[in-house]
Amino acid sequence: MKNNLIYVYCISDRPFEFEVAEDVSGIRTIVFNNFYLIVKDVSDNEYSEENFKRNLSNIKWVEANARDHMEVITRNMENNTVIPFKFGTIYHSEESLKKFITDYSESFAENFQNIKDKQEWSVKIYCNLEILSEQIDELSEVTAALEKQIRVSSPGKAYLLERKKKQLIEEETDRLCKHFGQIYFDEFKMISDSSFLNNLLPKEYTGRTDTMILNASFLVGKNSVPEFKNISSHQTEKGKPLGFIIETLGPWPLFSFVSINEKI
Amino acid sequence: MINDSVIDRSKDITILELLDRVLNKGVILTGDIVISVADIDLIYLGVKLMLSSVETMEQLKSRRQRIEK
Repeated sequence: MKNNLIYVYCISDRPFEFEVAEDVSGIRTIVFNNFYLIVKDVSDNEYSEENFKRNLSNIKWVEANARDHMEVITRNMENNTVIPFKFGTIYHSEESLKKFITDYSESFAENFQNIKDKQEWSVKIYCNLEILSEQIDELSEVTAALEKQIRVSSPGKAYLLERKKKQLIEEETDRLCKHFGQIYFDEFKMISDSSFLNNLLPKEYTGRTDTMILNASFLVGKNSVPEFKNISSHQTEKGKPLGFIIETLGPWPLFSFVSINEKI
Repeated sequence: MINDSVIDRSKDITILELLDRVLNKGVILTGDIVISVADIDLIYLGVKLMLSSVETMEQLKSRRQRIEK
């Protein structure tokens, strides 16, 4: 089995601490034009265009290799600033990879400048709608007003108003999720250099019973990370009684904040 | 909840969190072989099928436990 393709994990503008010609898993460093790339020689059997596409339909294969991709990058970013490559970026030869680096070297240099001494953190916020709706009369003036009206109404009218309130609670919990989500987001954004909103994931994907209300990534200066964590702790404490769960995770490889401009 | 070591938790990161990053972001321009948008759709379909089969297993498991009680 010949390993004649090059799989790229990440690139740095400084030497890696554990620079190797090739380690046990076949991972090696290519140095070119003052850039340092972590790569692995892979075989046609797994990564030729046809075989790679076939492997992508095998979710177990995708998961194992995507985890490997993430792990190699996170390991190498501990002592270095790295720009991660997308999973499954493969070159036919070193020449082909070097041509890409040469063509885009200005863009790489600019990105390294932008992300120096910064970290990527993710914030996911979920809401337990049941807990939030239990407190709806304290949080929403309109439902509180309707509740007052129900109490003084005849049984028949109260029944109809109860039905109306059920609908109103749904609308108001939705509004409150957006309202609090925005407040939480703004607090994190205030001490971040940049932010990125990801798609909200439905329950069928998260496998959770609560509802995702915010899925964001933040670019945070290393010096601001302790404050970022403080905000997270504070929000967790504040949000818990209302049914909000704040999950902060990092530092991630800077997947969300690199932008290599395509040449026309 | 703050987890400040992606490395320590890399095994716990959900497949969705993982794919969300490694498939859709990073240096995505080029490469002699890359994953296309259609490939990404296919991968997410695989994830959905995998998660729904896990869910089915869990449901079957809890139903069996209820019957055994």
